[in-house]
Amino acid sequence: MDDAALVAATVSGRRDAFDVIVERHRRVVYQVCYRFVSNHEDASDLSQEAFVRAWRGLKNFKGRSALSTWLYRIAVNVCLNRVSAKTPPTEPIESTEPFEDTRIESAQRTLLREERAAAVRRAIAGLPKKQRATLILRTYHDMSHQQIADILGSSVGAVKANFFHALANLKKILGREP
Amino acid sequence: MNHLTSDELIDAMEGMLDATRQQHLDACEACRRELAELSSVLREARALNVPEPSPLYWQHFSERVRTAVDAEALPSGGWPRWLRWPALVPLAAMALVVIALMVSAPTPVDPPAAVAAVDANPGDVALAADSWVMVADLVGDMDWDTASAAGLVVEPGDAEWAVLELSANEQQELTRLLRAELLRAKS
Repeated sequence: MDDAALVAATVSGRRDAFDVIVERHRRVVYQVCYRFVSNHEDASDLSQEAFVRAWRGLKNFKGRSALSTWLYRIAVNVCLNRVSAKTPPTEPIESTEPFEDTRIESAQRTLLREERAAAVRRAIAGLPKKQRATLILRTYHDMSHQQIADILGSSVGAVKANFFHALANLKKILGREP
Repeated sequence: MNHLTSDELIDAMEGMLDATRQQHLDACEACRRELAELSSVLREARALNVPEPSPLYWQHFSERVRTAVDAEALPSGGWPRWLRWPALVPLAAMALVVIALMVSAPTPVDPPAAVAAVDANPGDVALAADSWVMVADLVGDMDWDTASAAGLVVEPGDAEWAVLELSANEQQELTRLLRAELLRAKS
């Protein structure tokens, strides 16, 4: 069953259809939220709130965009409303390097790399909200400028400007890091 | 020629810069340095990943969402919980009984003295109204599950079962009272 059919079934009272929507999109919604808050507990709470809001608003979903885009928009709004611009990351940083590579690195090098990653996370957490949202959607979710503009309710030009300023601010903040 | 704008730097990072501006970029060390620094920051940001929760977490998450959603109204804006079919069935049955009695009611006659006496006693009417106010205050905020757990809700068939449980005299008296009430309503 595709997303449109699941939406129609949910609105007509099929409670189990919404369970399928949650199951299908929960991972991506969680990842968006995690990018904003950098810790599991808050990301989990925000994801749950996003789905509850989706349930409330589903009868007004007209299908003009994909359900996934609509859910992105809800999740981003939940995060933008809730998250302080200065939320510090509270969980250890994980590297994307393959495990085999880290085993042959010296402990000191691993530590330095993780400290740098933590600094990058702090810098992202310190960005203005629109810049942070743009960076997250563009960098981690491979969204086009137009999709991001639709989600944030802005123009493509504004998205590009926010993306540039996000990177420029990161460069400035990280340039001051030891 | 002017240096690349912020939009053009983003286009260059994404390989979308037009040919003319690409020529400038190729020739301009300042623009190339700016582009390299922004690209380096982007690579660092891109390297951060999201730890994957355990497989058990997703089941738990779905249950949490289900519980939270169950506390909400239906998205279609349906009837309140207390007015859904478990409550409507006995109400509909009672309505059918009343309609049947109305159809089979005899021609109007003077109400029995006892009924007239009840109607004529404003103290009793006030007492009944006060009782309803008290009951409404007690159960006004009670949801269906709570009322059901307390045994206070009407289940399908309860009305019919209650009538069948009455003795012959009680059924006769109920019929008389209902007819009297119908006559009073018609008059």
